[in-house]
Amino acid sequence: MTTYAQPRYLPGGDRYMLIEFGNEMNLELNFMAQGLAGAIVANKVGGVIETAPCFASMLVHYEPDDISFADLQTEMERLIGSLGPSDDIELPSRLFYFPTVYCDPWTKAAIDDYTAKINPEKEYDPAFVARLNGLSGPEQLVRVHSGTEYWVAALGFWPGLPFMMALDPRCVITAPKYNPPRTWTPQGTVGMGGASTAIYPVATPGGYQIFARIPVPIWDPKQRFDVFADSICLFRPGDRVKFVPVSVAEFEDVERQVADGSYTYNVVEYQKFSVAQYKAWVSRLDRSKRF
Amino acid sequence: MATEVRTQTAGNMWKVLVKPGDTVAEGQVLFIMEVMKMEVAHEAPVAGVVSAVHVAEGAEGLDAEDLVVEIG
Amino acid sequence: MIEVIKPGLETAVQDWPGRIGFWNQGFPPSGPMDSWSFRLGNVLVGNAPGAAGLECQYLGPTLRFVDAAVIALTGADMGAKLDGVAVPLWESVAVAAGQVLALGPAKSGTRGYIAIAGGIATEPWLGSRSTFHQAGVGGIGGSALKVGHEIPIGPGNGTAGRRVKPEARPVFSTDKRWSVEVCAGPNDDWIDAAGQQRFLSADWKLSSKSNRTGFRLEGPDWTFAEKAYDKPPEHGSLPSNIIDHGYPLGAINLAGQTPIILVNDGPSMGGFINPYTVPQAAFWKLGQSRPGDIYNFRQVSVERAQAMAREMKALCTQASIL
Repeated sequence: MTTYAQPRYLPGGDRYMLIEFGNEMNLELNFMAQGLAGAIVANKVGGVIETAPCFASMLVHYEPDDISFADLQTEMERLIGSLGPSDDIELPSRLFYFPTVYCDPWTKAAIDDYTAKINPEKEYDPAFVARLNGLSGPEQLVRVHSGTEYWVAALGFWPGLPFMMALDPRCVITAPKYNPPRTWTPQGTVGMGGASTAIYPVATPGGYQIFARIPVPIWDPKQRFDVFADSICLFRPGDRVKFVPVSVAEFEDVERQVADGSYTYNVVEYQKFSVAQYKAWVSRLDRSKRF
Repeated sequence: MATEVRTQTAGNMWKVLVKPGDTVAEGQVLFIMEVMKMEVAHEAPVAGVVSAVHVAEGAEGLDAEDLVVEIG
Repeated sequence: MIEVIKPGLETAVQDWPGRIGFWNQGFPPSGPMDSWSFRLGNVLVGNAPGAAGLECQYLGPTLRFVDAAVIALTGADMGAKLDGVAVPLWESVAVAAGQVLALGPAKSGTRGYIAIAGGIATEPWLGSRSTFHQAGVGGIGGSALKVGHEIPIGPGNGTAGRRVKPEARPVFSTDKRWSVEVCAGPNDDWIDAAGQQRFLSADWKLSSKSNRTGFRLEGPDWTFAEKAYDKPPEHGSLPSNIIDHGYPLGAINLAGQTPIILVNDGPSMGGFINPYTVPQAAFWKLGQSRPGDIYNFRQVSVERAQAMAREMKALCTQASIL
């Protein structure tokens, strides 16, 4: 069963608990994880230092001097029981629009470097991902990938790096990871691994298939823009993202605006995400139709 | 009396850039070690002619203060 | 105030327990790898055990003490000299204004710690002075020490001539072998019985491709249980691939067939399984080992690992100081 009837509580050394809600990429599991994270804060559970929700799980960092693993599990079971069905969840959810160049020259350079130095057999990522998902080619990949909003399910691996899930089931695609990983990825790269889409906040190594790039910072230690007033990381779990295909010329224009500080982030901040309405919409869609 | 150039730290010998007989300038990089995925360049403390090279490129698990290059 | 004359290989401001509370944004805790040596150094100079000090790795720095100070060196022996005179480890030492402390390469162990009475007084960043230089976070201007850096020191209350009882000090391996405690989980059930046996009985060599982000291990191949193969495709194609999940600090992360111990500056989540986790009380062994050393992993219960951490915390107090 891919959503567990009861969550699994797994120890991680002396100070961590991993709670698994299920075994698949399923937005409901993330709603449960985010809901539990919120409930832990609201209930001020003693001994919990911090939590990190992820796609289908949540990591709890606890203080063993204050609470044992067994007592923590009891407390988590109680909270999960009190949360109720995920259908009732409504979350304020910001929506970001990002100008995005798909099949861009910068990710191509990174892929070319990888084929030259690490694995000459690597197929060009957009063509590879299109082929694996039964799409007609990179052009359809662009329509399908950019055709949905993405739900920020988790942040991690690198500070501020968002892991996102396609909200429109007609746009769900999957991609295996590089083996071995790349040693570098351009900052702002958009890529996919498994069924998740990520944006690289800085140039790090990585294993996702890469096929697009945005010129807009998602991480800003200098906090130059208003959106970074509360944190140096742009995203919170529960945000949504829409990638808007643009040309290289438009990208470079935005890059200039970012450099001189005149760029204005395109963020919609009046919406609430309703799980019940989302599920109703999904049930009306003809999933056999791709864009 | 030869000038000895030794490893500054434990690590691996990533690149050996000179061989016996080479003339080197003061400050010229003689060899580069790799430790913690960082490069540690070792420069000639004096100008002169390399008289001996004791460690090959690719050598692993060197200790600090291992003798690598002799000048003069 | 302390001026940096030579930075050493990678010397950085760290505090204990590090940067906590930002795991869900992807910030690692950083902090010292050998918190046993680190905390004892602070206790020696009259600081709280977690006060900010310096972690020196492989090759230590050369520092000029602009102001008089009381300091203590713990952890790896880096042949420290104060104005050319050898400085003992595990003892608080008076430094006069203008004196120069020079550390060299680590002779035994790998990471040396410098505690200064009053603690390092840089501006904390997200609640901690610890350095995560890869992302420009904490430390001095977001980085490890550089030539010319000025390190501010807080007002201190240290006394020279105090010593750590010999029995309270960590004892480093002299034969390049370490017995390292691990707890099973979170994903030990992804490994078959033979694979679990193999992990716990094999020699695992620490690779030179290791640093504070991850300690890569070389050893036998892993073999997997049914659930590593019988899973929805979105987990990924390798048996060690899993839907991205949070990583405990100290997790032995299985990237394909390569185990990488996630240490102080490591990633907070990712798409590989963690069959075993190194508990906090065993981290000092990781911090003092070097590439080529062999780890043999010894399984302990979560409760035992928690007791070990409590014992270490009790050891890092005035009770251990003569």
